[in-house]
Amino acid sequence: MEALQTNDLTKHYRTGAFNKKNIPALEKVSLSVEQGEIFGLLGPNGAGKTTFVKLILSIVHPTSGTATILGYPLGQRTLKEYCGYLPENHRYPAFLSAEHTLLFLGRLNGLPESVLKEKAHALLETVGLKDWAKVKTKKFSKGMLQRLGLAQAMINNPKILFLDEPTDGVDPLGRKEIRDLLLRLKAQGTTIFLNSHLLSEVEMICDRVAILNKGKVVRTGTITELTTQKLAYIVQLSSPISKEIRDRLQQTILPIEYHDTNLIVTLRDKSELNQIIDILREGGIGIEGMTQQKTSLEDYFIQIMKGENGQ
Amino acid sequence: MRFWGMFRFTLSEALRKGTLLFYFGIATLILLILSFGIGRQPSDQNVITFFGKPMILSGPISFNAIEFLLIQLHSLSSFWIILFGVLGVAGLIPEMLEKGTIDLFLSKPLSRMELLFARALGSVMGMSVNMIYFIFGIWCIFGLKLGVWNTGFLASSIYLTYAFLCLFSVVTIAGLITRSAGFSIMLTFAFTIIAWGLELREKGLYMIWDNTLYHRFLDGLYYGLPQFDAMLANCTRIIGKNPFNPNVADFTFMPFVYSFFSTCLLYGLSLWYFSRQDY
Repeated sequence: MEALQTNDLTKHYRTGAFNKKNIPALEKVSLSVEQGEIFGLLGPNGAGKTTFVKLILSIVHPTSGTATILGYPLGQRTLKEYCGYLPENHRYPAFLSAEHTLLFLGRLNGLPESVLKEKAHALLETVGLKDWAKVKTKKFSKGMLQRLGLAQAMINNPKILFLDEPTDGVDPLGRKEIRDLLLRLKAQGTTIFLNSHLLSEVEMICDRVAILNKGKVVRTGTITELTTQKLAYIVQLSSPISKEIRDRLQQTILPIEYHDTNLIVTLRDKSELNQIIDILREGGIGIEGMTQQKTSLEDYFIQIMKGENGQ
Repeated sequence: MRFWGMFRFTLSEALRKGTLLFYFGIATLILLILSFGIGRQPSDQNVITFFGKPMILSGPISFNAIEFLLIQLHSLSSFWIILFGVLGVAGLIPEMLEKGTIDLFLSKPLSRMELLFARALGSVMGMSVNMIYFIFGIWCIFGLKLGVWNTGFLASSIYLTYAFLCLFSVVTIAGLITRSAGFSIMLTFAFTIIAWGLELREKGLYMIWDNTLYHRFLDGLYYGLPQFDAMLANCTRIIGKNPFNPNVADFTFMPFVYSFFSTCLLYGLSLWYFSRQDY
C-alpha cells in the first residue's frame, strides 16, 4: 500500500490585492511513495518542494488535484495523527525549555499526559539533547533546534515523517547521527519523506527520489536508476593498452577515456561492447572486470537542471 | 485535550508578556498602597481615611461614599486594564501566523477553528487573570478594611472579561488580515474610538449631516459592531449609582446581548478568513 499518492496536485498562488496575479507553484504533480521507504524530493530553490509538503499537510490548499496519505484523503484531520513534520525555519516558543516544548507539542498531538513526559525524555535522549532538557530554547544553536525539531516530529510515533531540510545547520557528526536515526526509523517501518538540498545525504539514505523543477516533476526513480549511466562502462584491463589499440577503439566507438588500466567507454548501443572486447583480445589485453559507470546524484541533478533550464 | 493544550500555552505566553507583567506590577503596587492606606477613623466609623488622613467626600444626602469610591476606582482602572490588555495580547494572533510557527501548529491534528479559538480565548484569559487579580484584590481590601463587600464590583470583572472578549474579536480579525501586532493594535484603538463615537452618535455624529439614511447607517453600525463603550459604562453601573450623575441609566444587559451577535459575526468572519488562507 502506498503511504502517499498524489494525482495531478496543482497549486497556484494568487498575489496582489487588486490586480491578482496567478503564480504557479506546483503543476500536476503525481507522486507515489511506498510505505516504509525513504523518499527524497529534490529541486532548486523555489521548485515547489515545501509547497508540496504543505499541501499534503493542509497548510496550503490545493488549486486542483487529489491526494491520499495512508489511505486518507487530503484535508482529513485524522491523517495528521499519523504524520510528523519538521518544517524549514521552524520556531519554538523561546520561553519554553526543550522538555516543555515537547510536552506542549505532544499535547497538540493529543497524547495523554501519562505517557508524554516519558516520551519527551526518551526523544530528547534519542536526538542527543538529554542534558539540555531543562534549558530554554532561546539558548539553543541552530543545530540543537534542528534536533529538537526532529524530536517533536517524532513525538506521536508517526507512520509518515515529513522532513524539510532536517540537517540544515547541523554539524557533520550530527548529520551522521540524524542519518542513522532515519535509517532506524525506516527499519521500524516509518515512511520518510525528505526535502533536502544536500544531495550527497539524499544519495546515502533515500530509496527513491523525485526531482522537481519549476513546480513540475522532471525525474523519478531509485538512486541507482538515476545515477547509473546505462551505456557507459568502466573496463578494467590487465595491462596498459598501446596507442595502436586505442586508435582502433576510437575508430569503432564514441570517445573513450583512458586512465591507467581503466578504460571508460560510452556506447551507442550494447552490441558495441562485443566489438571492444574483440579489439582488446586481439591486442592481447586481458579484461579483469567490467562495470556500468555511475555518476553522483549531485552531478546527475546538475545535468538535469541544466537540461531543463536550457543551458 | 488539544484545544486545552493550545489554550494553556497561549495563556502562559500571555502572562509572560512584558506589558502584562508591567500591569501586574502596577496593580500590585496599587493594591499594596490601598491595603496599607485605606481604613476607617477609629473615633468616627463613618469617616474613611487614607494613611490616617480623613478623605473628604461630600455629596447628596443618600450618598454612599464607599460605593462612590469603588465606582471612581473602577471607571479609572477599567480603561487602563483594557489598554494594557490590548497592548499585551494583541500580538499573539500575528505571532501565531509567523512562518515556522503556523506551519508547526497546522501540521498537528488540531482544526483551524480549535487553533484560532484556543488562541483567542487564551489571550483574553491572559488579560482577564490580571484584571481579576486587581478587582478581586480591591474587593477584598474594601471588604476586610471597610466591611463593604460589593458583589457588583466583583461581578464587574466577569462583564469586563466579556467586553474584552468582544473587543478581541476586532483584534483577531485585524491580526489575521494584517499579520502585524502594530497594525492590529492601531485598528483596535481606531475601533474603540469609533465605538465611542457611535455610542454618543445622537449628540455628535447625527449633527454632522441631518439625513435619515445617514442616521440609519450610523444606527446600523452601532448595532452591527460590539458596543464596547456601552459595555464598559455598564460594567461600572453594576457597582451602584453615581451620586453626582443621577440621570445615568441603570445597568442593562442590552449592550452585552447586542455585542454577543456582532462578536459572533466577527469571530465567524475571522474563522472563515483563517480557514481559507495558505500559510
